[in-house]
Amino acid sequence: MIEFNDITKFFISGTVRTDVLRGVTFKVNKGEFAAIMAPSGTGKTTLLNVLGCLMKASSGSYLFEDQDIETLNDDQLSEIRNKKIGFVFQTFNLLERTSALDNVLLPLVYADVYPADADKKASRFLESVGLKERINYKPSELSGGQQQRVAIARALINDPAVILADEPTGNLDANSAKEIMEIFKTLHKEGRTILVVTHDINIARSAERIIYLKDGRVEKEEVLR
Amino acid sequence: MKIMRIAGVSMDAVMKHKVRTFLIVLAIVVGIATLTVIVALTQGANKKILQQINNFGPDAIMVHSGGGKMRGPSTASEANLTKKDIADIQDIEGVKLISPFQVSLDMPVKYGNKFTTSWIFGVESSWQEAWKRGASKGDFISDSDNEQLSKVCVIGQTAAKDLFGDANPIGENILVENVSFRVIGILEKRGQSPVGTDFDNLILIPFTTASRRLMNQPLYIAMARAVVFNPSQIKTVTAKIKEILRANHHLAETEEDDFKMTSPEEITKMIKSTSQTLNVFLWLVGIISPFVGGIVLMNIMLMAVSERKREIGLRRAVGAKKKHIIFQFLAESLVLTFAGGAFGVTAGVIIAILISFSGKPISITWQPFATAFLFSTVIGLFFGIYPARKAAALDPAGALSQK
Repeated sequence: MIEFNDITKFFISGTVRTDVLRGVTFKVNKGEFAAIMAPSGTGKTTLLNVLGCLMKASSGSYLFEDQDIETLNDDQLSEIRNKKIGFVFQTFNLLERTSALDNVLLPLVYADVYPADADKKASRFLESVGLKERINYKPSELSGGQQQRVAIARALINDPAVILADEPTGNLDANSAKEIMEIFKTLHKEGRTILVVTHDINIARSAERIIYLKDGRVEKEEVLR
Repeated sequence: MKIMRIAGVSMDAVMKHKVRTFLIVLAIVVGIATLTVIVALTQGANKKILQQINNFGPDAIMVHSGGGKMRGPSTASEANLTKKDIADIQDIEGVKLISPFQVSLDMPVKYGNKFTTSWIFGVESSWQEAWKRGASKGDFISDSDNEQLSKVCVIGQTAAKDLFGDANPIGENILVENVSFRVIGILEKRGQSPVGTDFDNLILIPFTTASRRLMNQPLYIAMARAVVFNPSQIKTVTAKIKEILRANHHLAETEEDDFKMTSPEEITKMIKSTSQTLNVFLWLVGIISPFVGGIVLMNIMLMAVSERKREIGLRRAVGAKKKHIIFQFLAESLVLTFAGGAFGVTAGVIIAILISFSGKPISITWQPFATAFLFSTVIGLFFGIYPARKAAALDPAGALSQK
């Protein structure tokens, strides 16, 4: 369902051209739990931005559920992000001074149809990540692990085709990190497609398959289970 | 509705950023309040001008005998308008009627042992229609009163009060320069003129009686009030009267008029010229104030956009389109300017009312509210669009990675 074919991305600053992605090719199948192992400096952020439809590639083709992402305009990309992608960020990116529940509901603000049972749905997701008692807490009243769980619930609210996690445990202690990865495993078992981008091999090992990125190219792939 | 949900986001931001909201609203309040006060004052002044014109009569032309720039009615002693003049004016096309009268200022009047001074007018029955003012009690001067040189009078309410207190003056005799007049009616109340002349301190007697018995001026007429059918004819009729009078009085081209005319236009001009400079200055302040408020709004909104880059990036990441971001920030600006407008117009109205206690005329109708609403909208849109567009133009990936 995600198909990267020879994706390149370069940036021009003044007269200097920096090639960040130099022809990345890989696939992620529906229902798969994959990890992209990318040490810092290998174009991880850029790869994520292209994957998340936040940025277009310089060349190559990106098929998302058989749709050619490179041909879409800004509004269409927004719709893809809204409907198809659930983001989980390293820094959580929750809205301050906003309850966990409202944070989870955020993507629905921009949805074409606002479900009548939105609040119930959001509560259910918060419950499923173990935050039943904290739905009205603000991010500042939650621990890092709890904040990331709110973010996961937010990623789930629109039933996306893929959950795209960027270093989801990067800001967490070992225990919380483990809990978060357990949540991803559970979600995978429920049939969701999960793609985690990380520089931490221990995190990558939670996945079924690891795609190693090096110097803007796929170096190798490793199937774990 | 998506648009309502996004508007909700804007409302939420306004409620959550209290200091920012307070500062912007305050800036708008000051601007709109200033504007409101100025609108109320200008409207008040305009209303007063209108009232003065209406008091004068928008369809009336006053013809005074005697030239020069002197204001106020001429006395019979310098009168040079003739009966022919009056008859000729009556024949001008568009003139409904002309009512000549004699005036004697500050005449001593006596009733029993009470004295007062009053303006004495010698009038014909047409005076009623010319001034749209008749007897509120009793009778008015009739044509037969004029034919018979009757010694009757209609008395203004101030004069009546001075001489008779609360007693009924009708049927009583008063002395004007030792001539006895029987009171046959009481004149309708008119109030004070713009310059403070009491229009109720007057006594009307028959024109002929005044000319012969009181002023000893049987051939000439002090003043006349012409009324036209349609106020739009004032200009042409005024010009025509001037032409006729100059011809009748055999004035050479180099000679100045030996009469004077006052029309509603001239009164408007006179009043307006005195308030014009002040008005221009007031309006300048009135327009600049909300404008400054708008600059404050833009400034703070720009700061808000740069502070909230991550939030904008996040919203874009979860599916907000550019137009949604523009709408969100524009709605935020508008909520703030509307709040400022509402409080501002309230504050302005209160201030205007306080100012009115000092005697300045104010008028609070729909205009200050419409102006406040209009300016709030314009400021919100005009000064809010740039920050909103800036927010929407942010690259989502870049905005997300902001620290």
